[in-house]
Amino acid sequence: MPGDGGHPGDGGHPGDGGHPGDGGRAGDGGRTKDGGTRAPRSGRTGRVRDDGGHPGHGGHPGHGGHPGHGGHGFHAGHSADGGIRAPRSGRTGRTGRARAGARPRGRGVRAATAALVLCAAVTGCGGGANADGSGGKAVLRFSWWGNPDRAERTERAVELFEKRHPGVEVQTSFAGYETYKQKLATQAAGGDAPDVMQLDYRQINQYATAGVLLDLGARDAVRTGGIDKGLLATGAVDGTQYAVPLGRGTQAVVYDTGAWRASGVELPRADWTWEEWGAAMAELSAADIPAGGEGGAGGTRVGGLDPGQSEDAFEMWLRGQGKALYTRDGKLGFTEDDLTRWWAWCDGLRKRGAVSEARQTTQLDGSVENTPLGRQQAVSDINWDAPASGYEAILGGPGSTALAPMPTGEDGTPGQYFKPSMFAGVSAATAHPEEAAALIDFIVNDPDAVEILGAGRGLPVNDRLRERLEPELTGFDRVIAAHHRSLEDRLKPPPPAPPKGDNALQTTFQRDYDQVSFGRKTPREAAAEFITEAKAELRP
Amino acid sequence: MSITTRTPARPARLRDGPRAPGGRAKRRPRREREGAAWVFLSPWVLGAAVLTLLPMAVSLYLSFTDYDMFEPPSFVGLRNYTQMFTEDPRYWRSVTTTLLYVVIAVPLQLALALAVALALKSVRRGKGFYRSAFYAPSLLGASMSIALVWRALFNDGGTVDDLLSRAGLDIGGWVNQPGWALLAVALLTVWQFGAPMVIFLAGLQQIPTELYEAASVDGAGRWRQFVSVTLPMLSPVLFFNLVLQTIQAFQVFTPAFAVSGGRGGPADSTLFYTLYLYDRGFTASHMGYASAMAWVLLLAVAAVTAVLFRTSRSWVFYAAEEDR
Repeated sequence: MPGDGGHPGDGGHPGDGGHPGDGGRAGDGGRTKDGGTRAPRSGRTGRVRDDGGHPGHGGHPGHGGHPGHGGHGFHAGHSADGGIRAPRSGRTGRTGRARAGARPRGRGVRAATAALVLCAAVTGCGGGANADGSGGKAVLRFSWWGNPDRAERTERAVELFEKRHPGVEVQTSFAGYETYKQKLATQAAGGDAPDVMQLDYRQINQYATAGVLLDLGARDAVRTGGIDKGLLATGAVDGTQYAVPLGRGTQAVVYDTGAWRASGVELPRADWTWEEWGAAMAELSAADIPAGGEGGAGGTRVGGLDPGQSEDAFEMWLRGQGKALYTRDGKLGFTEDDLTRWWAWCDGLRKRGAVSEARQTTQLDGSVENTPLGRQQAVSDINWDAPASGYEAILGGPGSTALAPMPTGEDGTPGQYFKPSMFAGVSAATAHPEEAAALIDFIVNDPDAVEILGAGRGLPVNDRLRERLEPELTGFDRVIAAHHRSLEDRLKPPPPAPPKGDNALQTTFQRDYDQVSFGRKTPREAAAEFITEAKAELRP
Repeated sequence: MSITTRTPARPARLRDGPRAPGGRAKRRPRREREGAAWVFLSPWVLGAAVLTLLPMAVSLYLSFTDYDMFEPPSFVGLRNYTQMFTEDPRYWRSVTTTLLYVVIAVPLQLALALAVALALKSVRRGKGFYRSAFYAPSLLGASMSIALVWRALFNDGGTVDDLLSRAGLDIGGWVNQPGWALLAVALLTVWQFGAPMVIFLAGLQQIPTELYEAASVDGAGRWRQFVSVTLPMLSPVLFFNLVLQTIQAFQVFTPAFAVSGGRGGPADSTLFYTLYLYDRGFTASHMGYASAMAWVLLLAVAAVTAVLFRTSRSWVFYAAEEDR
């Protein structure tokens, strides 16, 4: 173990309790019950985790009676499991001893001591909540975003990982994407990023260049041989493999099969264009399919979701015309005119009633339930394939939901692409790089893990395992696999990772289109505003 | 403390004071006493210094930098401020939205608080119960859960929306319509009128009954009494509530965040200043810009408060001054 000064017997031991200052320095390893030494963690986190302040450690009976240091929560304590708790800092220890000598000074000092004990109690409790309980294992924190279904599958996979690696404990946490994004950024800024973190395509650049991520290419523990080269490259920044894709996803026109069939409108063809899509939406709206679900009393369904708010849909539309959202050097790849045309076209569709009204569209919050299709106010939707599994439960079980390819450009140029649905990266500050890398390798390359995870994060990236898994897929995973098969070899390679400002622009895009759909701005005005904001955001 | 050290400017006071000049000698040295005072103050002083003053100083520094939380802040001078005032249309939308909200919510809330306080004043039985009942929303109000319930009530197909559409007013979800969403947030604030109400109630009980008796002898009706006795006598309390609620209204965050789905939508109609600040800082990772916004907000609220204090001279009536 590197640099562990916290040898048992050095400090804080009942035998020499009067010299707390001798104890292992803060951040040093502590000995635990089974003889394993806990590795020091670099930076602030390590200290907070490894040393005391845990209720029950500070004022241990072994010390209790010694005036001057007995009650100090932050002094070395001898924990019940035989582990040594390092004092918070050497200085604290010295102060303690000096104070012991100055005892007779009287009431003021005693009051000071009392006050300090109080402070120690307060600060100590703050960090020590999960200081123990690991039983000497390497503790990995793994956080991701996703829905309960993904959480359930992940928990099962993690359990299996822990069984295979008895020396490792994985603490998991997950949240919705928006929340996750904000929390992760704050953690990373504080030098406290989780050991293993799930990352989006839009985050890779920022996190890699800021030095938050570990170079995974240098770790043999993560085997990437089974992953398609083009897909793998999406996790590299300037030639360094900072993250590994966890799944492959692509967009789709999701539709309610029952409603679409009932309308009598021709089902989507594999090579339909945006114009054909728009026409189909209008026909579907004209078919007067009754709306379902709550809050839909009476009305009829529209054809589909207004795609104007979606930066993703706009990107696919652009690519269908041979353009791109960003240039190779991270500048805007389109003009105000392009965006004006897109928004004017969407605006027209909405005004004709072909796609969802503004008040429907504005309720989008990333969950399937709050899309127009999820509320059964529309016949179709545009979404990513993995989350689309959520529609099935709403629309009436297996077979109720189908996926069609995204529309292409007028000359048949496909706009959609296979995107890494998400990545896994390892914190540069992790104390357990090997274990962290092993966890990622397990998720990507272990046949059992891949089977448990299914298509919950998109289709598996390991080609061999994906092919083996495909016949065994059940439920909506099967639909997703078929969707991918129908697109295989037809799509263009994915664009490089978006520049870091893009993270915020996705929301800006939606907001600016809100101004159009609520009739507060013309498409041209809104497009001009977006371009201004985008340029400010992408400024180096 | 200061009285003992200062040269006695008002000898009369000092002589009447509780402590004779000779008493000083018996006490322990002043330094030690001060030391003990500091020790007892230390939890608070440390807290204020480390958790309030230090972060404030840091945020002031950050407001002159470009800081994305990942790379170290780089100094950009006043660029955040100039960008805010000259290049950012959404900033001004957030300013007007917040002002509109303050102008709607605060007077409505105070009016309701005063009305309920007046009604409760004459209640004889179960006063405590009513007071608690009306105060309860204020206790709950700041919580996220209430804000979420509020969103559900006013959403498309929510209870309020449903009732209104049955009555023939189909809005289609207040929180989804730019013209209505702000009102939904304002109503949530108005509903939490408990704190000002309790203060009004206390203020009302301070008004001497002789004034009302004298007024009714003079033939003043209830309205006349309210305008000529209650309002002037209550004006200090009214002023206090006005200042407090205005400051709070400028800083509204939780209800706005929840009711607008976290984005200030629809179409930026509930893009409150604090919400936009949060958006810049945590969603777009422009901590420098967000810090600059925070400091402008602080100064703006201070300025508004100062203006309120200035106007108060012309309408707030302090009985004590009258006596002199």
